[in-house]
Amino acid sequence: MEKALWYLLTATRGGANRARIIRALSEQPMNANELAEELDVGYKTVRHHLDVLVDHDVVEPGESDYAKLYFLTDRFERNWDTFEEITERID
Amino acid sequence: MAMDPLIRYATVLAGVNVLLLLPLVGVWVRNYSTFRTNLVLGLVVFAVAMLAENAVAVYYFFSMSSFYSGDPHVQQAVLVLRGIQFVAIAVLSYVTVK
Repeated sequence: MEKALWYLLTATRGGANRARIIRALSEQPMNANELAEELDVGYKTVRHHLDVLVDHDVVEPGESDYAKLYFLTDRFERNWDTFEEITERID
Repeated sequence: MAMDPLIRYATVLAGVNVLLLLPLVGVWVRNYSTFRTNLVLGLVVFAVAMLAENAVAVYYFFSMSSFYSGDPHVQQAVLVLRGIQFVAIAVLSYVTVK
């Protein structure tokens, strides 16, 4: 997962925003709407990034169908050091 | 002197590769200014080298088309190689821009 995280967060067009989404979710689980508002990013953009992060097993949606909350996965939490190392580089 | 069709296709593919590589260089240069990682720097160097390679190829196809004329096998090989490179760059663009 470590290599994938580096590419996903530092080498792709949406990398910086994906890192911000992860940071926000580490503080508290949120739904797509709240994330869009919190980060001042379009709802569709947030949805797209969440889908990519779910595909890569970085975040997972909770049970509820309405205003679904997103959580960081255990697998991602085990790679938290890598995430810190990556985001230290964002000024 | 007119270009043989196969070499013309190869030239078009090299031109398309250049057009695909420009946004890739753009994304990676911008991300390098944010993250300053060796990974992204490596990608910038890679994309710039590929950009130069394709630009030089286009130049050669125009300036040395007499090299290729008269040997359809060489033309075919050149076209196949350009085609494979196009697939590689297209896939990398897709996963990077997504």
